[in-house]
Amino acid sequence: MSDIAVSKNGLRSLKVFFGLLVVFLYAPLLVLFVFSFNDDSTIRFPLQGFTTQWYQDFLANPELTGSLRTSAIIAAIASTMAVLLGILASLVLVRRRFFGKSGATAFLLSPLVIPYVVFGIALLILFKTVDVFLDQWIGVTIGLSIWTVAIGHVVIFLPYAILVLAPRIERIDERLEEAARDLGATGLRTFRSITLPLIVPAVLSSFLISFTFSFDEFAVANFVVGDKVTFPIYLYSQLRFPTLLPQAIAVAVVVFVASLAIVMVAEVGRRFLERKLDVESEGSTLVPGAA
Amino acid sequence: MAVDAQPVPRTRSIRRPRFRGKNVTTAALIAPPLLWLVVFFAIPVVLVGLLSVGGIVLFPGDEVWTLSSWKSFLDLDSVYMGLFWKSIKMSLIVSAICVVIAYPIAYFLALGTSKHKYTLLLLIIVPFFTSFLLRVAAWKFILGDQGLINSFFYSTGLRADEHPIPQLLYSQFTVMLVLGYVWIPFVALPIFVSLENLDRRLLEAASDLGASRWQAFRRVTLPLSLPGVVAAFVFIFIPTIGEYVTPSLVGGNKGFMFGNAIQDLFGPGFDWTTGAVLSMFLFGAVLFFTLIFARFLSMRQLST
Repeated sequence: MSDIAVSKNGLRSLKVFFGLLVVFLYAPLLVLFVFSFNDDSTIRFPLQGFTTQWYQDFLANPELTGSLRTSAIIAAIASTMAVLLGILASLVLVRRRFFGKSGATAFLLSPLVIPYVVFGIALLILFKTVDVFLDQWIGVTIGLSIWTVAIGHVVIFLPYAILVLAPRIERIDERLEEAARDLGATGLRTFRSITLPLIVPAVLSSFLISFTFSFDEFAVANFVVGDKVTFPIYLYSQLRFPTLLPQAIAVAVVVFVASLAIVMVAEVGRRFLERKLDVESEGSTLVPGAA
Repeated sequence: MAVDAQPVPRTRSIRRPRFRGKNVTTAALIAPPLLWLVVFFAIPVVLVGLLSVGGIVLFPGDEVWTLSSWKSFLDLDSVYMGLFWKSIKMSLIVSAICVVIAYPIAYFLALGTSKHKYTLLLLIIVPFFTSFLLRVAAWKFILGDQGLINSFFYSTGLRADEHPIPQLLYSQFTVMLVLGYVWIPFVALPIFVSLENLDRRLLEAASDLGASRWQAFRRVTLPLSLPGVVAAFVFIFIPTIGEYVTPSLVGGNKGFMFGNAIQDLFGPGFDWTTGAVLSMFLFGAVLFFTLIFARFLSMRQLST
């Protein structure tokens, strides 16, 4: 079948092209990996020899570990909030018909089309306006903090949560929910006992996607970050004015390996669970074979 | 049904509120996400617009209700306008090149392999999990004066020490190269999806009717995968046109983009009103381009 799409020679050149792209994509990562073990506090060639010093040192660098903690807290708050709001939005968009639905859908997905620099300064202006207003009337200001970053991250990751959750909800057999309602379950009870268990895999994967991206987000956070810097902000300052750059690179390697492992496990787990849930829900349909 | 056997009033009292309640719960469920975006997305954008015309005053001494910042920006000779066209040009070139490179990759994954396509797809997505900043900075370590390429030339004696290759780092080319590097995996995805969903029987039919491979590709595969191509183009155009991080790390003065101007005006440059003008203009331009592409997309779908 595939020989209609591509000839033998064509396939061979496509393979070579793919291989070249993989080299192009991984070569810079390899350079980073090498420098995280290079015995030189400046990032430069030629290489100076092997050391694991940077991996040991970063634990003793409070500024760095503090930034990691801040990023983790922000990512946890933002992704929890984005997923919760995403569940509500997806439920309504998939299950309900109402006036202005297409407009609401477009609005909920609209953060996808704003350049991050514009959204960053827009948030900055919002918080500044609130502060100017509060200062005039009651003489207090809120300022910028981890909360202002988390608020921004919820906005940018909500559309992604919806894009992961809505297709999954769409695939749930609606008759299962109807059956629960007919048997006297309230809306909340139906959601808790039927809908939620069926979307758990999608909930987890949207949470992890938001978490990893929030942990790495710089462009928006840069404008609304307070005194407590996040890891990307620490990294950026290290890249501009390097003092302990190899440590930061070592941390990034660790973060890369960890997030890759988490996402892989989550993705494999999600596939496995969803297949299992699909089989179960198909097995329990009222009219077997109709689905 | 058993419920019908119940006394009539009771049935009503159960059914009615439930039916009317449906609209109420719909509103209650959709309200939190909508409100969040109104307060933290729509209102901030409106505030940017207001600030750009002096509708709000954040710093003492700023002018109230004036179009002067817009006027000086839209002046044909303004520095910012030139920067805007330069950024549009760079972003369009990067998007086009990325799509051209990603298409054969997606084609290979979707139609060329059968067994390992998802593993191979994963292989090109994995780099996405490295810190974005470091993926950019890695090029500094490759292209810099003491980077991989220059030190190779030093050590082989092809170039004298301390005489690095000019334009390798801190140029428009570097910014475009790195932007392409960062976004290619993301571009391949939508194209892959559209090729993956292609009905293979159409290709068989084309070949049965005597079409060559090239004809089948040009008349069947390419037109049907165009929505994915356009989506990929938009996916990369939006983030690159507003980029300021990549140019600030590897662009130097020559790679300076429109986003850098905005960042500077809200930072050391400190002219929020002009910054707001630039931001509104950029957002407007992005919406304009996205709508054109979306229009193109829906027209294609209508005609096929």
